[in-house]
Amino acid sequence: MIYTPQNTDEIQSILAQAMDSQRPLYACGTRTKSGMHCQVSAEDSLSMEHYSGIIDYEPEELVLVVRAGTRLDEIDQLLAKHNQMLAFEPANLSKMFASEHGGTIGGIIATNLSGSRRISAGAARDYLLGFDAISGRCDQFKSGSRVMKNVTGYDLSKLMCGSYGRLAILSDITLKVLPKPQTVQTVCLTTDTLAEAQASVSQAFTSSVEPSGGAILPVADRFTSYIRLEGVAVSVADRLTALKNILDGQGEVSVLEADESTLFWQQITNAEQLASSSGQIWKLSIVPSALPQIIEIISSAHTCSYIADWAGGLVWLNCEISDTAASSAIIRNAISAHGGGHAHLVRGEAGEHIAKFQPQPEQLAMLQSRIKTAFDPLHILNPDIMGHEVPDSTARADAGEKE
Amino acid sequence: MLLPNADQGILDRRAEIVSALKSMLPAGCVIDDDKSMSAFDTDGLSAYRNQPLVVVLPETTQQVADVMRWCRDNAVKIVPRGAGTSLSGGAIPLSDGVLLGLGKFNKITEIDYENRAVTAQPGVTNLGITQAVQDEGFYYAPDPSSQIACSIGGNIAENSGGVHCLKYGLTTNNVLGIEMVTMDGEILRLGGKHLDADGFDILGVMTGSEGLLGVVTEVTVRILRKPASQRALLVGFDSAQEGGQAVSDVIAAGIIPAGMEMMDGPAINAAEDFVGAGYPREAAALLIVELDGPETEVDFLINAVSEIVKKAGATSIRASTSEAERNQFWAGRKSAFPAVGRISPDYLCMDGTIPRKALPEMLTRMASMSQKYGLRVANVFHAGDGNLHPLILFDANQPGELERAEEFGADILRNCVALGGVLTGEHGVGVEKRDLMGEMFTEDDLKQQQRLKCAFDPQHLLNPGKVFPVLHRCAELGRLHVHHGKLPHPDIPRF
Ligand SMILES: Cc1cc2nc3c(=O)[nH]c(=O)nc-3n(C[C@H](O)[C@H](O)[C@H](O)COP(=O)(O)OP(=O)(O)OC[C@H]3O[C@@H](n4cnc5c(N)ncnc54)[C@H](O)[C@@H]3O)c2cc1C
Repeated sequence: MIYTPQNTDEIQSILAQAMDSQRPLYACGTRTKSGMHCQVSAEDSLSMEHYSGIIDYEPEELVLVVRAGTRLDEIDQLLAKHNQMLAFEPANLSKMFASEHGGTIGGIIATNLSGSRRISAGAARDYLLGFDAISGRCDQFKSGSRVMKNVTGYDLSKLMCGSYGRLAILSDITLKVLPKPQTVQTVCLTTDTLAEAQASVSQAFTSSVEPSGGAILPVADRFTSYIRLEGVAVSVADRLTALKNILDGQGEVSVLEADESTLFWQQITNAEQLASSSGQIWKLSIVPSALPQIIEIISSAHTCSYIADWAGGLVWLNCEISDTAASSAIIRNAISAHGGGHAHLVRGEAGEHIAKFQPQPEQLAMLQSRIKTAFDPLHILNPDIMGHEVPDSTARADAGEKE
Repeated sequence: MLLPNADQGILDRRAEIVSALKSMLPAGCVIDDDKSMSAFDTDGLSAYRNQPLVVVLPETTQQVADVMRWCRDNAVKIVPRGAGTSLSGGAIPLSDGVLLGLGKFNKITEIDYENRAVTAQPGVTNLGITQAVQDEGFYYAPDPSSQIACSIGGNIAENSGGVHCLKYGLTTNNVLGIEMVTMDGEILRLGGKHLDADGFDILGVMTGSEGLLGVVTEVTVRILRKPASQRALLVGFDSAQEGGQAVSDVIAAGIIPAGMEMMDGPAINAAEDFVGAGYPREAAALLIVELDGPETEVDFLINAVSEIVKKAGATSIRASTSEAERNQFWAGRKSAFPAVGRISPDYLCMDGTIPRKALPEMLTRMASMSQKYGLRVANVFHAGDGNLHPLILFDANQPGELERAEEFGADILRNCVALGGVLTGEHGVGVEKRDLMGEMFTEDDLKQQQRLKCAFDPQHLLNPGKVFPVLHRCAELGRLHVHHGKLPHPDIPRF
């Protein structure tokens, strides 16, 4: 059964019934990113696709309030009309998952999916000002607000971002939006080694040219670094000159003008360079300077193609790793040996030895599980979506006659 | 403002508790004499004082863990404390609780320029981080006015902001990782020098949790390259309405300045009397707009903003032409609190946020409230993000004035919520705004927040009495009560 509620009363009814009958729900949007997570142990779905639309948009307050099922392209169009944007540059993985569009804003928040500007402007989690939701206890609750600065109570917005719908059904989402930069240019530098490429990008980020993106692409046997500059035209022009001076002597330099730049960063954000190939796609979040070592370890064991973003801190990896203890451990071991981070098998099946999501240390896993229970004691929301969970058997208490 | 009643059983066990703590910590890490403990009896909300049961100043994370586990096992409460500058009373001790000070955690453990990250112990001051990296041209962006004193651990706990968070974000947007100890004495690492969480974003929810979820024992923050240049505009207006409009117009034009601060007439004059910053005394509102970045960009934006504020009705506009002049523009704003302290024996600093567009309306309401309570008020705002800091002037020696000032303050915050804003923008709820939480949140909202607390600290031992007006037992909050075979919400129609 797929439920498609149109208002919060309906959402509550569906949840109440799911609780009564102990039938868990797959809470989702338009399922464009269902390949990103594990199989949910639920026969029924609660899709938010019909709970959509703009509730309020005040450009001069930099605030947008939308229903969770609102499609990303609709939001982009509206914001563009006012020269504004979602500054975290949400990724559109439709090419990777062969879907027709980039999904809903609820899906973006639930996966905390940010693009190239993550490194300079922050993630989806940094732009969620507040929300209304219905918890796995069927209670309506809210957190946050519509203002930019707020420390009233716990910042539950942060928990919702990246929660994969395990805590509550987000209904209304309040986002901070920002003005679009007036213009953009990208400096490209070709070097011989990955270490040189990463060092150059890192140099740009530690200089005062204020890059808003730093990607690295292997091309044949060499590497091209892309460094994005955005802002008012006079400033971009000046910073471009300054950046070229910084990179002088490090390799061949060229420039992508505005239109080319926009297209290029879209492709990077959406990992389109790898999307059309078959096979697994991994997403690694690592310490930027560890990029060369981590890639070397992985490449020595597997044949992979990859692209890097976030100044080297994000790696999209395309390869075929077989489900054996020896081969699957290589990626995560390489990361933990080089400064830490995590790896997510974004596209591809989990296996006996391959967890889609980074396994957590035991004490942290237990805390995560207690947090889950605090919102969804019966585990009716997206059970097992990030891997097998053990429900807390103490959550349900038959108060019976005592009340 | 009441703290929870002290547990007599714990008070009676004081000697035993003190000696247990002494046996687990090095000499000099436990303070139990009244005179030395009085240094810890309040924080920045100094109208309230309370002597702790005992003070501990551990030196290592393991010691913090040992103390916390012991306290958990013995049902003893803990209040974490950084530098004690909280303006909402978050670090005010409990008479039946251990005050756990992080003052000895004062080292910077790693500076990594390549990855733009600094790792520090929580007792390092906010400014200490910038000072450690400024010779290389870097800085840590969140800059609370208390930055010479407040600790980075306290900043995490309060999610502190500063005048530059309009462009650079609050603490939460600048923290990469922490090490923390839970009430169970477990040591957890969240984040690091990489980005984003791999499960629930516990780091995100720890930030701003006011010492209720865990004790932060190490912090990794993002540092930034100092902007190539900075310039400021000093703009006077005849009315707060025009000043407020100018703020909205700048943002609407797609410009996000590094900072956009406003002061009202009384604040302007108090500051002018105190430091002589050259502010236009006749102005009803003064705006300081700071722009930073490459020189050409800053010059371009200074012109653009000047045009906008002119159209909005500015009566005076000055653009800084040197660092000395820019600092002079800021001198009055930065000394606004002490300046007000000079014209009044006491003042209460409030901290609400409203949507920017509601600024003029809020000022009108504030003027009539000032009449109603018979107390003067001076206003400084982080206008760019709608964060108000009304300073309510009173004299604590006059019977009833403190209570009246507090009632005035509560009224201001209720109005913030009524205008679509919130109770606190950066100072936290603590004990100060605890009893106003119901103005902004429903019972269900607050219960859900407390359920989260239960996941970390089911016995409510960590900083109880702060943030939440009513403490519900976790057993009662967590379980789903099945009544006559029915789950909650039997009234909701089923599909
Ligand atoms: C003059 C003045 C100006 C100020 N200006 C600003 C400003 O511009 N912006 C702003 O945001 N704030 C401002 N503040 C408020 C205050 O400085 C901040 O809230 C600061 O972050 C508190 O840090 P602290 O180290 O003093 O923490 P404390 O006051 O010691 O503690 C604050 C809270 O944090 C908890 N805590 C402290 N350390 C830890 C830790 N390691 N782990 C867990 N919990 C902990 C405490 O339990 C308490 O609840 C100002 C205060 C003063 C006195």
